Order: sequence, then C-alpha cells, then structure tokens
Amino acid sequence: MVQKRKLTEIEEKEEKKERLQRNLGPILVAEDDPVARKLLEKKLKEWGYEVHKAENGQEAWKILTRTELRIAILDWMMPGLEGPELCQRLRKFSKPHYTYLILLTARDTSYDIIQGLEAGADDYMTKPINLLELKARLQTAQRIIELEDNLIKAQKKLSKLATTDSLTRAWNRRTIFSFIQEELNRYKREGRPFGLLMADADNFKEVNDMYGHQAGDSVLKQLVNLIKNNLRNYDRVGRYGGDELLLLLPGSNIYNTGLIASRLLDRVRNTKFRVSPRTSIALTLSIGGTAADYLLQPQTENLIRTVDRALYLAKNLGRDRLILFGDSANMDSEEKVHERK
Amino acid sequence: MKENNKDLSPINRQEVLERIGGDEGFLAELLEIYQEEFKKRYGDLEKAIKDKDFQLIAESGHSLKGASANLSLPGLREASWQMEMAGKNQDLEGARKALQALKKEYQRLQKFLQSGG
Repeated sequence: MVQKRKLTEIEEKEEKKERLQRNLGPILVAEDDPVARKLLEKKLKEWGYEVHKAENGQEAWKILTRTELRIAILDWMMPGLEGPELCQRLRKFSKPHYTYLILLTARDTSYDIIQGLEAGADDYMTKPINLLELKARLQTAQRIIELEDNLIKAQKKLSKLATTDSLTRAWNRRTIFSFIQEELNRYKREGRPFGLLMADADNFKEVNDMYGHQAGDSVLKQLVNLIKNNLRNYDRVGRYGGDELLLLLPGSNIYNTGLIASRLLDRVRNTKFRVSPRTSIALTLSIGGTAADYLLQPQTENLIRTVDRALYLAKNLGRDRLILFGDSANMDSEEKVHERK
Repeated sequence: MKENNKDLSPINRQEVLERIGGDEGFLAELLEIYQEEFKKRYGDLEKAIKDKDFQLIAESGHSLKGASANLSLPGLREASWQMEMAGKNQDLEGARKALQALKKEYQRLQKFLQSGG
C-alpha cells in the first residue's frame, strides 16, 4: 500500500516534470550545418521548445537580442560571426533577462574550452551531439533561468517593501522625500513646477478611540486609496507619519495645486468610510499646500516646513479646509523667532 | 586508413540510430539533407581549389566534417577532415587528394544506400 502510494507520487512528479517541459519557450539553434540544424530542430520541438534557426552569425545575433529568447545553442565555427564572438557581444548587450548560451565544438579540434567559457558561454558540448546529454544540459539551463527569474522577483518584492509603507501601500517617508528632491532638481533644471500638499484626517484620534485601531488602520487605507484614485497617475502619495500624508504633484503650479487640493477635500467630504461591516463614518481632511514656484528658493526643508505650517493653520482655523502658503509663512516665523529673542 | 574504410560500411547505422532515437524515417530525411549539402559543398570546394581560396577550403571541409560526424559517416568524415587540414596548411595537392577521396566516399555511400543500406 505504502509502496503503491510512493509509485503514484513518483508518477505524478514525472508528469509534472513533463508538463513543465512542454511550452518551454523559444530556443535558438545557430548552426551552419543543415544536418545538425534539422536534427536539433526536430528533437527540441519534441521536447517542447519553440525553435528559431539561424544559418550564420548575423542571423543568430538578430534573434539572440530578442527579450523573450532565453536559451541558445551556438556553433563555434559559423560564417559571419563565430560562436565565442556572439557570446562576448551578447554579454555586453544589456538584456532585461539572462540568456543561457551553449557552445558547440567539433571533438577533434583543439579549440580552447576556456576561451569559449571566458567569452561568456555557460556550457559547451562536442559534436556529434549526444541528444541525451543535450536534454540533460538543457534541464540545467532551465534551472538556472528559473533561479534568475525568482531572484528578480524577490528583488522586486524587497524593493517594494523597502520603499512603501506596509499598511497604506503609500510611499514611505524616505522614498517620498527622494521624489521631492527629484522634482526639485527638475524644477531647477527645466523650470517645471510642482505642488506639495500635506494632508491630515480630521479628528482621526476619535476614530481610533471609538472603533479601535484596526478600524483606524482600515480608514487610513481607504483614505489613501481614495486620494490615489483622485490624483493623476504620475502624482505621488507618501506617508509622512501617523495619519499625515504628503502628496507630490509634478507639473502643477500653485494655482493647479490649489484646485487639486480643493477637489480632494470635496471627495473626502462626500465619501463614507467603513469602520465595520455595518458601520460607515464621515470624515474630513485638512490640507496645507505650497508649490515650488511659490517659494523664492525652494528646498526640501522649506517646502516641508511651509506645508506643515499651512496644515497647522488649517487645523486651527476649524479643519476641513485648505491653506496655501508661500515664503511669507517662513519669513513670518523667522520674525517671530526674532521677536522672541 | 582508406584501405580500412573499404571494408567498413560507409555509415554506422547502429550508432547514428542510437543517437537520434531509432527513427529510421528521420534518418532517411537527414541523409537526404546531407546529400544536398554535400553537392553544394563539393561545388564550392572545386571552385575554391581552382581559386586557391584556402580559407573557403578549410571552412567547407570543417562544415562537411561536422555533418558527416552527425550521421556517423566515418569515410566521409575522414576525407572532410583531410580537406580542412589541407586548407589550414595551404596544401593545394592535399586538397586535390581530399576532393578525390570525398568523391569516392560519397559514391560508396550512395551505392550503399541504393542497395537498401
């Protein structure tokens, strides 16, 4: 009984393996000998590959540079470009994914295997081709390609984790700051304006106190999504801290920044936020804003300080409103500092 | 070497069939491709010898050697190898000899195939 189960397990594994081997994607056979070309083509098709053929180096190069092509079998000696030269060229050519290269050499020629591998080949085989050996080596190639793909996926995931806030999926503080710096550089270089808003949900503490922190988190998520959906796709939403959000609006001068902010106030005012399956609440926003063209010498620090003070005033004046500030806000406060002295 | 080849079959069927998975029909197809390729290369070689184009002699010899090896044709492989070497060594006399050997081996293969292999 136990043995029987093991057997079916093995069978299932084999079947899965075979399924994987079908639809293996494109493979290039670059070979000037028509007999070898035909032989390889037939077998590779049987094994589930989509075969592309090239009779010389130039043809091979054109196919090699295609993004979707991940495995190539290259003859060492070919008219035009030879195998090692193709390897070398491809390694210098930037492709989004790795291409696995197998070089073919004649058994009785003393071509230096090291030379081939140094040129950038991953593997080599001698002719006449042993098909069983080729099949095994292609499985290695497939494994390497899958490893590379998984690595890229993991890198993307990590980079997402490192740049976004896990609760709201908005950019984290460090990342939104670097976006602001980029826009500042562009503003100084090309004079393209941008707006900056600091938005804060009004009476958010009450939501947490009344419905619990989970409900508060959920409302914050809903708020970020609502804001994202009402901005242009090149605008950036970041979490500054707590329930304070930074909104970066590339290309917007102070006028457009004001329009966008007013629209957001309106949308939030007219939206119900769910705090439990049966309960929804109303919410309002306070927003402080400025724009690069509204400051004499915009820098990340004085931009943040300006929107922070504008937000503070919006709260003090009764919430659910927008305050736009320029340089005067800063001068004002500096004077106050002087006064204190 | 040539003396030995006369006694041997021009094609090592068992070896080549093992390599291609025992498919007789496919072997016949490959042999047809080979014969076409051979005629083309043979024409190139005749011209290359006349023009003393040693690079082309070496290249054509090399390519035929590979095709012959793939189909386990030992006599043709040997003659192709001699051709490649003659090209590399710029040996015109050697190339002429190799051309004759190629022709002879090719005729032997054809006879063998026509008689039903």
